[in-house]
Amino acid sequence: MKMKRTMALILAGLLGISAAACGAKGTDGQASGGSGAGADTDSGSEAQTGGGASGKTESGGSAEDPVLLKIWGGVPPEAGPQASVDLFNEAYKDKGIQAEYVYYVNDENGNLKLETTLMAGEGVDAYMSYDERYLSKRVEGGMALDLTELCERDGFDIKELFGEEMVSSYEYDGVFYCIPTKRDQYGMMLNKDMFDEAGIPIPTEWTYSEFREIAKQLTHGEGEQKVYGAFLNTDQNILTTFQYFGVSALGGDWMYKDGGAATNFTHPVVIESAQLAYDMMNVDGSAPTHVDSVTQKLSCDGMFMNERTAMVPASWTVRNVKNLEAYPHDFVTAFAPYPVPDNAESPYIMGGVGDMLSINPKSPNIDACWEYVKWYSTEGIIPLAYGGRIPLCKSIDTDEVVEYFFRDAEDLLDEESTKYVMIEPRGSYAFLTISPKASELGDILKEEMEAILNGQKSVEEGLADAERRGNELLAK
Amino acid sequence: MSAKKLRQLKTDITGYLFILPNILGMVLFTLVPMIFSLIISFTDWNFVKGFGSWEWIGIENYLEMWQDEWFLSALRNTVILAFVCVPVTIALALVIAVAVERFAYAKLPIRLAMFMPYISNVVAVTIVWVMMYSPWGPFTQMVKMFGVKNPPQWLGDYTWALPAVILMMIWANVGYCVMIYTSAIQGLPGDVYEAARMDGAGEICQFFRLTVPFLSPTTFFLVITLFINVFQIFAQVQIMTKGGPGTSTNVMVYYIYKSAFNYYNMGYAAAMSWILFAILFVITIIQWRGQKRWVSY
Repeated sequence: MKMKRTMALILAGLLGISAAACGAKGTDGQASGGSGAGADTDSGSEAQTGGGASGKTESGGSAEDPVLLKIWGGVPPEAGPQASVDLFNEAYKDKGIQAEYVYYVNDENGNLKLETTLMAGEGVDAYMSYDERYLSKRVEGGMALDLTELCERDGFDIKELFGEEMVSSYEYDGVFYCIPTKRDQYGMMLNKDMFDEAGIPIPTEWTYSEFREIAKQLTHGEGEQKVYGAFLNTDQNILTTFQYFGVSALGGDWMYKDGGAATNFTHPVVIESAQLAYDMMNVDGSAPTHVDSVTQKLSCDGMFMNERTAMVPASWTVRNVKNLEAYPHDFVTAFAPYPVPDNAESPYIMGGVGDMLSINPKSPNIDACWEYVKWYSTEGIIPLAYGGRIPLCKSIDTDEVVEYFFRDAEDLLDEESTKYVMIEPRGSYAFLTISPKASELGDILKEEMEAILNGQKSVEEGLADAERRGNELLAK
Repeated sequence: MSAKKLRQLKTDITGYLFILPNILGMVLFTLVPMIFSLIISFTDWNFVKGFGSWEWIGIENYLEMWQDEWFLSALRNTVILAFVCVPVTIALALVIAVAVERFAYAKLPIRLAMFMPYISNVVAVTIVWVMMYSPWGPFTQMVKMFGVKNPPQWLGDYTWALPAVILMMIWANVGYCVMIYTSAIQGLPGDVYEAARMDGAGEICQFFRLTVPFLSPTTFFLVITLFINVFQIFAQVQIMTKGGPGTSTNVMVYYIYKSAFNYYNMGYAAAMSWILFAILFVITIIQWRGQKRWVSY
C-alpha cells in the first residue's frame, strides 16, 4: 500500500515537472489538449470515489455557524490576497460565509501539494491555477467544477463579464471550469528621469526607427559607467525583439505560416526585428551587446533598477519599484507600448490572461464557494492590484484599481503612462493558437539569432538558415 | 524438509531481510528506471501526451540521432572535452602531488585548498567562474595586460567557450586527483628510492622511472572514474553557457536533458542516454584491456 502511494507520488511528481516545464514557455493563453491524460483520469476517478462518501454532509450553513471556505492561492498574502479575504469576511459576515486564504508556493512542489489535497477531497474549497497546463490537467482529472449550471442559475455570463475573446481559450468544449480573473498588459519600462533630462517626452506609440533614435539619444558614458538607451534582455530571451515587438504585427503565431506547416522566419517583419537588435547593439551601441549580456549575465531587473539603462522591455518587473529594500531608488518609472515595425500594420498588443479560479467539486460548500468566486472575480480581486495584478472583469472601476496599484509607490510611478500602458485596456492580445515543435523552433531561431548578433552571419543569411532548418524539422 | 535445511533457510531469510532496504532502493530508483528507459527508447513517447500513449518505432530513435546536428555537436564537444580534460587533469595532478609532497612547506593547507573545489557546491563555483570569465574578470584583464587589443569573450565566444569550460573542469577535478595521488605517494617504498639515489638517479629520473610506474594503478583508477565523470558534465554547461554560443558547448547530458524536458521527446532522450552508456562502456573496456601494457601492480 505504502509502496503504491510512493509510486503514485513519484508519478505525480514527474507529471508536475512536465507541466511546469510546459508552463515555462510563455504567457500566451493557450489551452493545451492533453497534458498527462492517462495518469490523470486514474487519479481523478480514485479521488472521486473517496470524496463521495464524506461530502454533502454539512452543506448550507446557517448564520450562527458560518461556513469556513479554504481558498488556495499562490500569491503571497501580503501582496493583496489577505486584504481581499478581509474584505470578503466583512461583507459576508451576516450571510454566514467566511473565507480563509491558504498560500501555496506556485512551483512544482506547491502545485503537487495542492493537487494531492484536491485528490484527498477536503481542505480546498476553491483554488487558483496560474498555468494553462496545470489547469487542463485538473479539468481532465475531475478536480475543477463545471460552472455551467451555476452560471445559468444566477445569470452570470462569463463571456459577457470578462470579454469573449479573452476567456475563449479557457472554454473546454463549451464548458467553463474556471474563471480567469487577471489580465496582463506588457510594455517597455522607462526611466522617466532620464527621458526628462534628455528632453524627450514619454512616447505613447512609436516605430522601430523612432525607438532606435531615442535609444541613441539616451546613451552616454563609457566602459563600466556607460548608460545604455535600451537593454534588449538577450541573455534571458534572445527572441525579445520578435516575441514582444514584432508580434504586434504578426500576432501570437508569429513563428508559423500556413497554419503551422512552415516557419515564418524570413517574413519582412521578422527580418526587421532582427535587424533592429543588431543595429542597436553593434552599430549604434545603444544597447548592451549580446556577448556582454551573456558574459555578464545582465538582467532587466539589475540593468533598470541600477540605472544602467533607460529602457527595458520588461514591464512585469514593475514589482521591483515597490521593493525599495532590494532596489533603493528615487527615479520615476514610466511605461510605453512596445515599438512596432516601421512598415507594417500592428493590430496586436502583448498581453495575457491568468489567475484562473476554480471550485473543488468535492467541496461540501459548493454554493458558498460560488458566492465567493462571483465576488472575487468581479470585485474581490481589486486589492491584488497592489502587487501589480489587473482585474479582467470589465465592470470593475479602473480608479479603484489604480489606487491599489499606486499605493506605496505614488512618487515612483508616472501616473499617466502607467495607467495607459499597464491598466487601461488597450487592444486585442496576440494569443498563441498553435505550437508544433515550438521549443525546437525557438532554439533554432535562437542559435541563428546568436550568430547574427555575434556577427557570424548577416541578418538575411541567419534567418534564411533558420527558416530552412525549421522547415526541415517541421517536415520530419 | 530436514531441520538443518530449515535452519539454513531461516539464516538466508534473515540475511536477505538485512539487505532488503538497500535492494529495494536500488530496484526502485536504479533498476526499474533503467529498464524503463531501455523500453521507452524504442518508442516515440512524448511526455505531454501522458503515460502509455506511445507507439513502438523500433530502432528509429537510434538511427535518427546520427542525422541530428544537435546530437552530433553534443557528441563531438563531449569527446573533445573528455579527451582534453582527463589527460591534462591527471598529468597536472601527478606533478602537483609529487611537488607538494617533496618540496612544499605547509603541505596540509595546500592540499586542503586544492581539494576545496571538489567539495564545493557546483552551482556556486560555476557562478564564480562566470564572473571570472566576464569582461571585467581576471582572465580578460590578464590577456589585456599582454597587449591584446580585442581579448576573447570566453563564454560568449564560439572558439573560446569550450576551452573555458574545459579549464574550469580541470580546476574542479585536479584537487581530487591530487588527494588520491598523495595517499598513494605516501605508501611508496622508501628503500627503492634510496637505492635509486645511491645508483645516481636524479629527481627527474626518479619521477619518470619510479614514481610514475609505481602510481600507475592509481592513474588507471583515476582515468576511468574521470572519464565517466567528465562525460556526464551537465550543471556547469547549464549554468555557464546553456550550450551556447550556437552549439559550441552543447554536451551530451545537456542535450539529453533538453530533448526530454524541453522538447518532451522522452523516447529519443532515452535512446541517447543508452548511446552515452555504450560509449562509456566501450571506453572502459578498452582501458581494461589496455591496462596490461602500462599498469604495474
